[in-house]
Amino acid sequence: MIHERQTIVSRSLDSPAPSQAGWAVPRPATRVLQLVGARADQVMFAVALVAGSALRLWHINSSGFNSDEAVYAGQAAALAGDPELSKFFPIFRAHPMLFQFLLSIMYRVHFSDVGARLLIVAIGLVTIILIYKVGALLYGTSIGALAALLMAVMPYHVIVTRQVLLDGPLTLCTTLTLYLVARFALSHRPIYLYATGASLGLVFLAKETGFVLAAAVYAFFALTPQIRIRIRDLILSGLVMMVPIAAYPMSTALAGRSDTAKGYLVWQLFRRSNHSWTFFPTVVPPAIGPLVLIAAVAGLWFLRRERSWRETLLISWILVPCFVFQLWPVKGFQYLLPVAPAIAILASRALIRVPAVLLVHRRAFAPALRAVLIAVVLLSLTLVTWDRLQPPTSATLLAGAGGMPGGRETGEWIAESTPENSVFLTVGPSMANIIQFYGHRKAYGLSVSPNPLHRNPSYEPVQNADLMIRSGQAQYIVFDAFSASRTDYFTKRLNDLVEKYDGRVVHVEYMPGADPGPEGYPPRIIIVYEVYP
Amino acid sequence: MPFICLLLVCASLGYAPAAAADASSETATPIKHFITLMQSNRSFDNYFGTYPGADGIPPDTCMPVDPPGETSKDCVKPFHVQNFEEDLSHTHLTFTRQYRAGAMDGFIDAFRKRGELFSWTMGWLNDEDVPFDWNVADQYVLFDRYFTSATAGSTPNRMFWVSGQPGVTNLNQVGIPTTGWGDIPTIFDSLQASGISWKFYIENYDKNKDINYRNRGDGGISAQFAWAPVLSFARFIDDPDLSKNIVDLNQYYTDLEQGTLPAVSYVVTVGSSEHPPSNPAAGQRLIRKMVTALMQSDAWPSSAFMWAHDDWGGWYDHVSPPQVDQFGYGFRAPALLVSPYAKKGFIDSTTLDHTSVLRFIEDNWGLAPLAERDANANSFINAFDFTQPPRPPALISMSRTPPAQLIIPDRSKIYGVYAGATGFAVLVVIAALVWTESSRLRLRGSRRQALKRGHT
Repeated sequence: MIHERQTIVSRSLDSPAPSQAGWAVPRPATRVLQLVGARADQVMFAVALVAGSALRLWHINSSGFNSDEAVYAGQAAALAGDPELSKFFPIFRAHPMLFQFLLSIMYRVHFSDVGARLLIVAIGLVTIILIYKVGALLYGTSIGALAALLMAVMPYHVIVTRQVLLDGPLTLCTTLTLYLVARFALSHRPIYLYATGASLGLVFLAKETGFVLAAAVYAFFALTPQIRIRIRDLILSGLVMMVPIAAYPMSTALAGRSDTAKGYLVWQLFRRSNHSWTFFPTVVPPAIGPLVLIAAVAGLWFLRRERSWRETLLISWILVPCFVFQLWPVKGFQYLLPVAPAIAILASRALIRVPAVLLVHRRAFAPALRAVLIAVVLLSLTLVTWDRLQPPTSATLLAGAGGMPGGRETGEWIAESTPENSVFLTVGPSMANIIQFYGHRKAYGLSVSPNPLHRNPSYEPVQNADLMIRSGQAQYIVFDAFSASRTDYFTKRLNDLVEKYDGRVVHVEYMPGADPGPEGYPPRIIIVYEVYP
Repeated sequence: MPFICLLLVCASLGYAPAAAADASSETATPIKHFITLMQSNRSFDNYFGTYPGADGIPPDTCMPVDPPGETSKDCVKPFHVQNFEEDLSHTHLTFTRQYRAGAMDGFIDAFRKRGELFSWTMGWLNDEDVPFDWNVADQYVLFDRYFTSATAGSTPNRMFWVSGQPGVTNLNQVGIPTTGWGDIPTIFDSLQASGISWKFYIENYDKNKDINYRNRGDGGISAQFAWAPVLSFARFIDDPDLSKNIVDLNQYYTDLEQGTLPAVSYVVTVGSSEHPPSNPAAGQRLIRKMVTALMQSDAWPSSAFMWAHDDWGGWYDHVSPPQVDQFGYGFRAPALLVSPYAKKGFIDSTTLDHTSVLRFIEDNWGLAPLAERDANANSFINAFDFTQPPRPPALISMSRTPPAQLIIPDRSKIYGVYAGATGFAVLVVIAALVWTESSRLRLRGSRRQALKRGHT
């Protein structure tokens, strides 16, 4: 038995992975190319880290937090004991708190926007390293390095890992899980199955929606009969998985907030759809990169003769979350980020190997074609990413797709210039979150439903905004173009209040970098009105 | 003094507007905008008799029904009054009977002699009845030795407030003379002469209705001229330079918005005066609205907003008022101060009366006293701390109920659980990777040894 296991390890770890042959055949014609080729993987991986760092750090603090970032940072600050933010951000909200827990430790030492975002950037870079490891494990270092490079410049990952969101840490945990599943598939050693369980537990703690990848793991094992799992190992792995998962209900129970967690669970399960079914097909492919998707699909087709459990694993990793989230009524831009590493690896596999297959009779040209294809794909990704990193010129940004221009400045103005205990009315909860985070003032979104089934349990509805102003309970009204672009109805209600109470403009934020309009100034994206009863 | 004379000359020559800005800004304290508001008919013990730390109702108080004890030995203890629907008598005669030459035991007897329900006078309100005032007291300054100036009702007290004298020689005289107040000098005359900006804001004031001592109006609106002394002076009605400063209260908000709040603002409420039997809530809301607007404005850092009640309204108060002259003092009335320089949660026990308002204005803007009373009055300067930087504005709640108690979970438990769970998962992953790595190294080692053995 021991001998068999050693044999497996020996075969799986010491023998060259299929990819080595893919990069090596045809081998460089000259000695120089051979030398370059020998180090190409390392160079490419180093470029991935440098480019990934540069793109993630570029003007990282130019905009303040958007609504979701404010919520997570607010939770972390509350957990760290910040007396001001504890008033506005309950520690327990809709998700488990692995990232908030880590961020709160940092906040205990230093509280800043940029610090929180640097933590996310670090998580993004570790994810890139893990993608390299997964790619190298499955197909060799060349494909691993290229996958890391694709991920490093991919708009989807760059944008999300510049923001204080849960999806960056989630993707790190899911990629770690992918790596461990691959290692188990290669080695059949139960310890990797246990580690997979532990990693899936971390996935849940990072963001419970990522747990859908447990189904991807199951689908992979179900579709790969050659990988046999003993029931005992499966049970042990499940038990190991339950330990981190238990942290969520246990912490809420110990803190006496089990009802809060249940409330969020009910709301998450029954909340209304926030986007149409076309949302993901519309927004995700451009963010991943159409050429990357084409390459991944083309690789599956052209390399179908090489098909192995590796592709089954990656395809399971992609299709299961896509299927589930397409059916799930609630959709968000960053929800499908965990599938991006698998797509990047499949695309890299295609870019490295397909040229040799296509030019089977002219193998000498394969390196050149490979280089051109890689360059085109990388260029297409980098250009789109660069464009997305420029200051937004439209207020109709997707939630989670970037910071909120002017939000931090407005919040800081509010903190400095309005009386403590002032109350603000906004179109929706997004701006309200930002005001509460930066302005330390209570803010209510008009669009928050009075029906508990239709609102985030954290949000308080406005029963009668008019009465709030008349009775002196609210002193300011805040218009923001981002929320206005999402709801005409509540924007009109807000503007009606401004008109009725003769709102006086006390602060304006303009679209940064935008050209002046006919009025002589750039579009106004945030307006703070003062109202008297 | 020479400076004031110079201003007087300038004003007489028509240069007042030019001088106004300068004169208004030259102050002895950082207070550039002083607002004083007068409410009605409450005693200190009626509003703050149970306020912790203040000189409130003594614990063993029981007011005798018949102070000499000839017809009854009964007494009435102070009680929480609710659904009160009476306007208690608050004439000079009532004061005299309640005061009983300093014995302070005639509060019930005064009403018994009038054949009225006598126990109401012992009623007090608590923090749920006057939440805003109590919140102000918590955050700013409450005066617990602020006496009404006259041992009578509104009219002489409000005259003291603007002129330092009662306007009458006999406090039994009720109402305003048909000829008005004549040429009694007021603080507004001093301010006008010195080029210091001022306004008199009146709630629901409509200049077109021309309600004043000549045309007294009917019903509630008649209170405007009764409570706003300037409407009983011919010169403040007829002289456009003076009458332009008497405006509706809505102008206050406009002035705050436009940065035109004058140096000195007098405010009289009518419908929101808290005059029994009306509910104090209306007055509380109005004052909160005014203070909120002030806090939202640019004037806040250099402002002080003070309000008091003109007379005691017939309500019980346990502190015997010092008698400084034939007119007063009367019983204590609630008085509060909000200012960025106000001491926080401070109970000021300096002996004050309505003329202390005049004294503060005169001291701050360098004006001469109007009368003996304000010349001798204490200022409430002790309520301020000008060594502190101006306090940032913080809106004051209308509710005494604290915001929903924030439940702060035990953070250490959360940290412990997450650290344990995360640490466990990470250890399992590391163990898998390290164990495999060491297995690989062992395997390589055994291979090398096997190869060596093969060679040998």
